Amino acid sequence: MTMFHFFNCAILTFGPHAVYYSATPLSEYDTLGTSVKAALVYLGTALVKLVCLATFLQVSENDGFDPYQELLKALIGFIDVAGLYFALTQLTHRNISQNHKFQAVGLGWAFADSVLHRLAPLWVGARGLEFTWDYILQGLEANANLVLSISLAALGSLIWLRKNKPKTLIPIIYACAGIVATMPSITSYLRRGLGWHFPKVVGFELFTSLVMAFISWQLFSACQRPYV
Amino acid sequence: MALSKNSGGHRGMQESMYSVIALVFILVACVELCDAAAAIDVYRLIQYDMSGSAYGSRFAALNHHAASLHFPPGADLSRAVLIIPLRELNITFVREYINQKKPLGGLLFLLPDIFSFENGGNKQVHEKEQLKNLLAELEQLLIHANIPYPVYFAFENDEIDTVLADIKKNDAIGQPATATTGGYKLVIPTPEPKKVASPTITNIQGWLSGLKADGDTNQLPTIAIVASYDTFGAAPALSVGSDSNGSGVVALLEIARLFSLLYSNPKTRGRYNLLFGLTSGGPYNYNGTQKWLRSFDQRLRESIDYAICLNSIGSWDNELWIHVSKPPENGYIKQIFEGFSNVAEEMDIKVGLKHKKINISNPRVAREHEQFSRLRVTAATLSEISTAPELLQGTGGLYDSRQFVNETAITRGVKLVAESLARHIYGHQGKNVQIFADGGSLAVNPAYIQSWLDLLSQTPRVAPFLSKNDPFVMALKKELTDHTDEVNMQHEVLEGVFTFYDSTSARLNIYQVASVTFDLLLLLVLGSYLIVLFSFLVITTRGLDDLISLFRRPPSRKVKTA
Repeated sequence: MTMFHFFNCAILTFGPHAVYYSATPLSEYDTLGTSVKAALVYLGTALVKLVCLATFLQVSENDGFDPYQELLKALIGFIDVAGLYFALTQLTHRNISQNHKFQAVGLGWAFADSVLHRLAPLWVGARGLEFTWDYILQGLEANANLVLSISLAALGSLIWLRKNKPKTLIPIIYACAGIVATMPSITSYLRRGLGWHFPKVVGFELFTSLVMAFISWQLFSACQRPYV
Repeated sequence: MALSKNSGGHRGMQESMYSVIALVFILVACVELCDAAAAIDVYRLIQYDMSGSAYGSRFAALNHHAASLHFPPGADLSRAVLIIPLRELNITFVREYINQKKPLGGLLFLLPDIFSFENGGNKQVHEKEQLKNLLAELEQLLIHANIPYPVYFAFENDEIDTVLADIKKNDAIGQPATATTGGYKLVIPTPEPKKVASPTITNIQGWLSGLKADGDTNQLPTIAIVASYDTFGAAPALSVGSDSNGSGVVALLEIARLFSLLYSNPKTRGRYNLLFGLTSGGPYNYNGTQKWLRSFDQRLRESIDYAICLNSIGSWDNELWIHVSKPPENGYIKQIFEGFSNVAEEMDIKVGLKHKKINISNPRVAREHEQFSRLRVTAATLSEISTAPELLQGTGGLYDSRQFVNETAITRGVKLVAESLARHIYGHQGKNVQIFADGGSLAVNPAYIQSWLDLLSQTPRVAPFLSKNDPFVMALKKELTDHTDEVNMQHEVLEGVFTFYDSTSARLNIYQVASVTFDLLLLLVLGSYLIVLFSFLVITTRGLDDLISLFRRPPSRKVKTA
């Protein structure tokens, strides 16, 4: 029964990535290489972030919300953005259209994030006898994270890869990118500062991820239109 | 220099990488973390063989669902553990289950706090006596039954109370826990119990020499004071026996202390040797006492004037009994009894004499003095209980906890015995002399009694589980060494009639489990979610036609070959 539960949570956490890859034209154009490279870049970014956190952050005894610490964490979170920039621009990709490039990068990014942050707790915890809702919620969080990563990659590609953008949309693009990039800080504030419970936080993440995905989709299609 | 620093840093990175990889492997190898809803200490029912017959609970490992007493009638309990709090115990129900050998996964009894030392304290519970009697009855039932499933005892606390309330609620709805409906699972992962190889019983004796007059070559007479210190109960890890016989041990130590004070000064040393004996093997027909006496030199045995055995003197009000096996008309017995009665009268205590003849052919030894009498040494047992206990009864079981012992009773008992002995030793019989007067330097020390009683009430003392060098046995030895001139330890093997099995305590994990149907439902939901996601993505990125085309076999091939 417990391996069964582990299997269920695993397909909830990692299934959508596989489904996304096979359902969209990504599989037709064989963009697996791009995703793998993006995953590796994510690993590198995570390592750099870890080192920075270990160097600059102090461990606090209570689980409260320390604004200074959170600000520091947010700044370190921007290393994420730098990594994404590196993955989008510096890596050599095969001839794939920009449309698919950001999706592949976002997918690889989210998959690496899920594996790194969620596989170990799942393996250790979900196979035990004790039942908690945590692992199902974690899977939902992974789904939200996938959507957010793809949105961030879309916005990133808009910022760095597309040179001709309608001037009016540029601030909106940067604002949305900023919001999506600081999502981790916002969720940790909600959890620690306002004391929201895990299900509520996950619900909030799902909702915002859908909203941001919709907005970035609109922005992307708006920039696709031939520009006079 | 910069190069070496660089390579050093690189090596450091490599090392941290290796440790990270090692950690990952360890995590992967972890099968189950102790992530239980509750984890409590439980104590197993004793498992022993007596003359070849098996008694007690024969199994230790447990892995079943929990059920409460409110289970729906007719439910199959062969794979369920019944959790029964003592307050709700119906002894006829349990007796029926055990005698009719109905199949059960396990039994877990929850004992109220008053029977534990840490939390017992001074709580006033009105049904104290009722619970005590109920527990005694339950203990006797369980000890003499052969139970083919694990039986455990635990103390009530908040965690298990909430769990039990939840289980009762589920049972009341009519949904007993099985593999498909969820509920609570009780897991105790212990290996199978093994026999305790050659259980040892250790007798400790302390010798206090009397004053030999110059030129006197004869052996001085000896008075022996004996108490057995080991216990036997339903749960060996909880058998502290505060009254039986913690009270006797404490009294003996205090008497030894008082007389060592008297004997330290040659001017007040009496003309009698004093022999203090802490014997083991009490519950098993005083086997240890017999072996101890047999090991004596013939001369020593003959020099013993009389022996006083102390047993259960911790919870009496104003009546004590002296049990003898020689007829009351016997001169020695008369002397002893008169000595005690005189002191008792002064202290406002009533002392009665009980005579019971010994039957040498009957192996049953109900009281310690009978072992002396079998070797023709005059002896008497001082006790608050007037009737003779049966085998393995009244030997310090679960119900015999600190709450039910009164230090004042022990203090008075010590004064009674010490005063009587002293008057006999110094020849002051009949005179109204208070040697151990209250408030004097030789007064009985209640703090000493209390601290030793507290220690005894926290130490389970079932003989097969006490090793030769057990810290408690060493502590007793050290204490006697402080108060006497010479201390000897005698190690013997417990007679072959009894065989004991280990695994007396364990840790119970209570897991809240979800049923298999829940996971099946979850699988269905997830499956449909993924299919919906797939269809959605195909439609939005490739168009509806592509989705439909996935399900139609491409007809183009047939056309081409044709």
